[in-house]
This record gives sequence, structure tokens and C-alpha cells, in this order.
Amino acid sequence: MTRQSLVLTVNGKNHALDLAPHRSLLDVLRDELGLTGTKKGCDAGDCGACTVLLDGAPVNACLVLAVQAGGQEITTIEGVSSSDGQLHPLQEAFIEHGAVQCGFCTPGAVLSLIALLRETPRPTRAEIQEALAGNLCRCTGYVQIIDAVQSVADSSK
Amino acid sequence: MTHGNVIGKGVPRVDARGKVTGQTKYAADIRLPGMHYGKIVFSPHPRARVLEIDCRAAESMPGVRKVITACNLPGSNRYGYDVAHRPVLVPEGEETRYIGDAVAMVVASSEELADRAAAAIAVRYELLAPLTSPRQAMEPGAYLVHAAAAGNRCCVREFVHGDVAVGFQTSEVVVEQTYFTPRQEQAFLEPESGVAYQDDSGVLHVISCLQDPYGVAEDIHLALAIPKSRIHVKGTPVGGGFGGKLNTTIQVHLAAMACLAEVPVMLVLDREESFAFHPKRHPTEIRLKLGAGRDGTIHALEGDVIADAGPYSGRSPEVLGLTMSALMGPYRIPNVLTRAEGIYTNNLDSGAFRGFGAPQAAIARECLLDKLARALAMDPLELRRRNFLRPGDRPTSPMLGDSPVSLELLTERIVEKLGPKPSAPKNSTKRIGRSICFDMPVFDVGAIPVLGKSGVGAAVEVHSDGSVSVYAGGTELGQGVTTVLAQMAAEQFGLPMDRIRVEMSDNWTCPRAGRTSASRLTFGLGNALLLATGRLRQTLLVRAGKMLEIAAEDLVLEGSEVRLVGVPAKALAFAEVAWMCSDRGDNLREEGWFRSAEDRYMYGHTFMAAAADVAVDIATGEIEILKLANVLDMGRVLNPAMAFGQLYGGAIQALGYGLMENMVTVDGQSKTPSFAEYVIPSALDIPEEFVAEGVETPYPTGPFGAKGIGEAALNCTTPTLLNAIADALGVEITAVPIGQEHILAAVRNQKLM
Repeated sequence: MTRQSLVLTVNGKNHALDLAPHRSLLDVLRDELGLTGTKKGCDAGDCGACTVLLDGAPVNACLVLAVQAGGQEITTIEGVSSSDGQLHPLQEAFIEHGAVQCGFCTPGAVLSLIALLRETPRPTRAEIQEALAGNLCRCTGYVQIIDAVQSVADSSK
Repeated sequence: MTHGNVIGKGVPRVDARGKVTGQTKYAADIRLPGMHYGKIVFSPHPRARVLEIDCRAAESMPGVRKVITACNLPGSNRYGYDVAHRPVLVPEGEETRYIGDAVAMVVASSEELADRAAAAIAVRYELLAPLTSPRQAMEPGAYLVHAAAAGNRCCVREFVHGDVAVGFQTSEVVVEQTYFTPRQEQAFLEPESGVAYQDDSGVLHVISCLQDPYGVAEDIHLALAIPKSRIHVKGTPVGGGFGGKLNTTIQVHLAAMACLAEVPVMLVLDREESFAFHPKRHPTEIRLKLGAGRDGTIHALEGDVIADAGPYSGRSPEVLGLTMSALMGPYRIPNVLTRAEGIYTNNLDSGAFRGFGAPQAAIARECLLDKLARALAMDPLELRRRNFLRPGDRPTSPMLGDSPVSLELLTERIVEKLGPKPSAPKNSTKRIGRSICFDMPVFDVGAIPVLGKSGVGAAVEVHSDGSVSVYAGGTELGQGVTTVLAQMAAEQFGLPMDRIRVEMSDNWTCPRAGRTSASRLTFGLGNALLLATGRLRQTLLVRAGKMLEIAAEDLVLEGSEVRLVGVPAKALAFAEVAWMCSDRGDNLREEGWFRSAEDRYMYGHTFMAAAADVAVDIATGEIEILKLANVLDMGRVLNPAMAFGQLYGGAIQALGYGLMENMVTVDGQSKTPSFAEYVIPSALDIPEEFVAEGVETPYPTGPFGAKGIGEAALNCTTPTLLNAIADALGVEITAVPIGQEHILAAVRNQKLM
């Protein structure tokens, strides 16, 4: 089987890899780099649990081939809090507002919403709903997730 | 009720940090040295005889460690809750019963190789006509899904109270309707997954997402003849269960793979396999009849439920027992005849799903009450109020016990939350509708048998450094039980939350606690924990009393100290007392064993009200939920953010149930095998305004007065939305889910436009 050499930049760190070209970014993150914070919920681009940021934009990692991601800055949930363990304000808000239940959708949702807040620091409720629409959550009913985002937006005023 | 330093407070979840940072290890995140990957070959046919399984090609592939068929399995090859009649692998010569039946398994060195080897297994089938309609399955002469189940009856549950014939004779108005409810998929985001391995001493370790480690160990023992002393089952943090992981899922298959391949094995179902495999909410046909006097007083209720039980019993007898009971709701009904039958078919399997049979009943009951109100020309809220259980009343169902009746309080609150009814702009194609519905959700009070015996155990240990371990065999599904138990222990010992560590879901380290279902953990495990901490508190107080030369009765545990009431100087650090207890040989590990004192009934119950304002556009069929309000009697709110999380989450699942979700099968094949076809609510589907409130009428035997609330919101919210839509259009809704296309059809039929 042909393999392809490439460098993936994940959370600011370069990884030299030799990969079969059909492997998804999701599988490579989880199985080659041990970054299991990115979840596999459907492997078909429907649920959003595998959301990561590619150059700041949210994508379903299951729908991106790892070899397509070379040369771009990949951010996973492991790269969201600072190296000294300081949580991102949105992560703090998720905890405070009860936006976490089973937690399986949480990493993907956090990344989608961080991308939103970077583009739109004070989003409306509708904008939050739109940004979250690709991240299915079966536990929370989304209410407390939206509350968490609004609290961060409010405090950034 | 303000007592408590951590109980009732906005304490953050103990598992939240791990979850927001991606550090929490779910089953599929585990990596073991030498780990191989398993793959199950499922039958593509709902009903077929397995003629031959040819594994030769798969066995000769590089990287394939083991190929397994029924003839390789030790033990009975049968497992299953209630009736152990489910094969692990369907053997040659036998028939498959649905598309979730497994015929072979492979273990290989990578996931990709396992997939390829599974595809290389050639199975020859003789195709047989599947039985896909419960009505047909009930007919004489129908083929039997299980030879032992005459008429394909999985179960029949019946309840008689008073005399319905007399009740209907004395009724001045009688209404009747048949309702159809869909198969709802739990749609947890984490598919079934786990790892298993045998250690050097021959112990089998199964680490997996599940809702009942004890039941899983039992099934592994039954199916594979492994001694119970050599089966260790550890539950991982679960990425959503909602009942779908209550029965054993993949764990028996995984155990067989690890034992026969003699390597650590990981098995994760893909989404399509997951949707096909686990049991879902029973689809039902419910004929319901109500008789009342002109004044609205209900005289009689008669109900017949036919439920599609799917291929295996699973939890059907328990689920349908609750359907039968829940048809009565929180109302006084002097004459009742209700009957619920579960019928075997070759469709997808049916079993537990949040609400456990009650949501189907709530739809029929609350929709028919609105029909009765129309027949009586009476306000639907007034009709309900006239028939509410009154303070001191016990529910008619013998399955239920005592609980303070709070229906009038709920009515007051829900009306207040709802506010004035909105109106549509003039010349708009939007129609506004409103509904208020009620329900009587239930929870286990320690009466549900755990492997034959009722009761719930928990162990608590105070360490010599003053930190505390709690061992509780329930499972963290996201509902927050780990945090609630830590709060209770912290409260009892006067310690901060970070001094408490809660170990959960492990059949070896935790006393037998049974399954995580029936909204039972806060109540059952909480009470067991209070029994254990009560004895430990006494040990600590007596020891501190000796150290301080003060009577133990005059001491309290608070602020990480043992203190003399009102005299701050007379105090010892909690850790110092713990160390002294340890040094002097006091027992610092206690087990609490809680079981329902009365043993007279199955469930405790509470009360809930839901209300909705909707706008339905008769030009487009679109439904806008302008406002949804939920008020639940929680007994005592132990953790507000988590309690409301249960209300919001349950209500949105209910919204999906009523308006969006239906796992359709045709000839036993799923037509909605992915999230692209089986669409669940997204953030765009939630109500514009969503208010939730808890009222607190303490439950006498609940820990700190709490009741079980995990499932409550689902039952009541679905009929509330349906009735609001019906109110907006002036039509009757009898089949769920109701989507845009159904609204448009109703508009055409009723010539509303």
C-alpha cells in the first residue's frame, strides 16, 4: 500500500508522519497521536463530536483526510487550555452553567463555539444556535450550552 | 430549606473538568499493550436460516488472530435479561431473529484488518419471510419467533380496578381513540464500545460503557460459563445511555473475543451497527377510552396497548407494566381496565428508554383528555383539575406508593410561568395554540430486584489522612450521580468536595447496587451512602469525644473539623480524628444497604406539569415552539444546574419524540440507519423560550427529601406539544411524530386554508 509522508501541525506541535492516504484526520489524531479528546460518534459527518479547528475554522475531522490537513494549523480540545492548565473562559463557563452532562459532544461543541467567539465576540442567541447546529447533543437540550456562551460573551463586554 | 453547605448548592460537577478538556477516558479511548480489534458479523437479514459459515478465507488473512463462530463458544451461547434466550452467535442450522443478530466475530491486529476479515466471512442463508407486524404476529398460525412464546406473546400485563362496565354505563360522555407511537432511538453519541482481556491469574476484565456492571457479569457467566469469581466488569464514563445500554450490549461478545483470541481486544460498534443492535422505545398502538359525567368527573378508563417487543424479551415485561400503569396518570379514576401486550416480531429490538413505557401512555392519556374536554366543551385545564389526585389520595395503580400530592401547586406555578397567551399578527397564516398537561413520573425506591433481591449497596471509607472514598456501583451516564454522591458525603462529614473521591460502576470494588435505570440512584445509592456515613460519623464523633473528653452527642462535623457546638476553641481537625481512629483500630469502612422499608410497591412517584405555546404556519406546515415551560416536584433540589439539566434535556428528547423522530423499518430493515436519516433535535430546534422550575415537597424517605427526577421531563412534554399543535389547528393528532408534512395534510383535509 502506498504511504505518504507529511507533517501535521497539531496544537502548535509538528508531527512527522508516514500514513496511508485514505486515513481520516480523526483516526490519525486518535490512533497515531493519542489525542483521544476528539470523539468518534458517527464517522460520517453527521454528529459533530469530532469537530476540530483547521486554521481556526471548525471541521468534522472524520470527513477530512489527514493528508489534506498538512500545512494547516490543527487545534484539538487538548490545545484549548493553556499549557499551565488554565482553562479557556468558555470551558470555565461550560462547567459553571451545567453545560456538560455525558461529555461526549463537549470537546466538539467547545471548539465550534470558540471558533464562533473568535469571529463574533458578542453573538446573538440565534448566532450561537447556528454555530452549534452541527454538534448534536442528546443530554442537555442545548439550553445551558447557550447560557454558557452568552455568559462569556457578556463578560467580554 | 436552606440547611446544607453543599447540598442544594451550585456545586460544579466533579467530572466536568475532565470532560471539557477532553481528558476523560471513554471506553474507546483506552489503549492497552498488544491490543487487537474485534469486529462482529451481523446478519443482513431479519429472518434467515444460517446454512453455512465459511471462515477459511478470513482465517488465512495476515493479521487475523481468531475467527469465532457459535461452535467455538464455551457455555450456553445464551444470555439476556428476564429470559436468557438471546444467542451470542446464531449457529449453523438456526434462524436469525433480527438484523442485530450476530453470526460470527473476528479478532485482528488492526481495525482495518478486522473489517476486511469480517467481510471475507462467507455466510450462506436461506431467506425466510420476516414477521414485521405485531397484529399479524398475534394471529393464529403465525410463525413463532420463539417456539416457547405462544401467539408471539412476550408478555401480557393487565390491571383491573372497580368495574369499567358500570363506569361507562354511568358516564354521560364517552370518548375513544387509537394512538400510534413510533420507535424512538436513544441516539446516545457514544456507540457501544469496550476493551477486554484476561490477566495472568485467569481473571477476565471487561471495561466498557454500560448501565449495569452486575447484569453484564451475570450475562457473561450465563453465556460463556466463566465462574463469577473470575469476571471483573468495570463501567467507563458513559457517553449517553438513556436505557439503550441497560441490557448487556457488546460485552458478552467482547468477553468471548478476549478469552478465545487470548489477547486484549477492543470492540467499538459503528453507528449503523449501533442503531441496528440495541433495543429502543417500543412502538405502540394504544386504544384508550374515557367515560365521564357532564361535570367532567371521570368514571372509567379502559386501555389496550399492543407493543412491538422486537425479537427478544429484554425489558418488555417491566416496560409495558409501566405503560399499563401510566395510562391512569395523576388522576382519580374509580373504574379501570388496562392491558398491555408485548408481541415478538423480527423488527428492531425494543427495551428501555428514558421514561420506560410511560411516555407512550402519557401521549394517549393527555391527548384523549383534551378530546374529552372538547366533547364536554370544558377548559382542558379545568377538566384535569377536577380529576386530580387530592392530598392524601394514593394513586390507583398498586405499583405506586405514597407521595405528597402537589398538583395544585404545580398548576399555580405553570400558569404563572406561561403568562398571557400570545396572538398571531393579523392576516398571518400562523395559528397559535396552547396546552398544559400533567404527569406522575416514577422512580425506584430500592424495590427493584437486583439479581433476585431488592436493595442497593454503597461503601464509604474514611482514610487515615481524612480523605474519603465512596464506592457506589451505579454508573455515571452524564446525569451527575458521581457529583450528587460526593455532595452527600461532603455534607455528612463537613468536608469540602475535593476531599471526597467517588468510585463507580465496578462489580468488584463496589457493593451490589444493580442497574442505572428507573431514576433510582440518587434515591437508592444516596440512602445507602447515608446509612454508611451515619455509622462512620458515629465512629469519628465517639473517638473525638474521647480525645476532647466531651460527650460525642455534643460534637458536630463541620468545616473539616469535629467541633463542640458553639465553642470554636474546642475542635479537632477532621484529619486528626481520622488518623486517631485508624491508629486505634476503629473500623473506618462501612457498607450501607438500603431497601424499600415497605416492600409493598415498585415505585415512588412525583408530579409534573408542562405547558407550551406554539405557532403553526398553515401555509408551510412549520411549527414554532414559542414557549415551553416545565415544572417538576423534585422533592429536594440537590444540585440546581444538574437538576435543570435533566429537565431541559428530557424535554428536548420529548420534542424529538413528538415532532421528529421515528426509526422506520420496512420488512425488518432499518430505513433510518444514520443520523442523516434519523434526525434528532439540534440547537436550531429548541423552543424560543424555555423555562424550567423545580418545586420542593420533600419525599419522606428520600435522601435530604430528594426524589428521582432523571426521566420525568420526557413523559409530559410530548403530549403538551401535540395538544398545543392540535389546539392551534383545531385538529386531532393520533399518530406521532407529527412533522411539517402531517401538518400540511391536516390543513388540506380540514380545509383550513
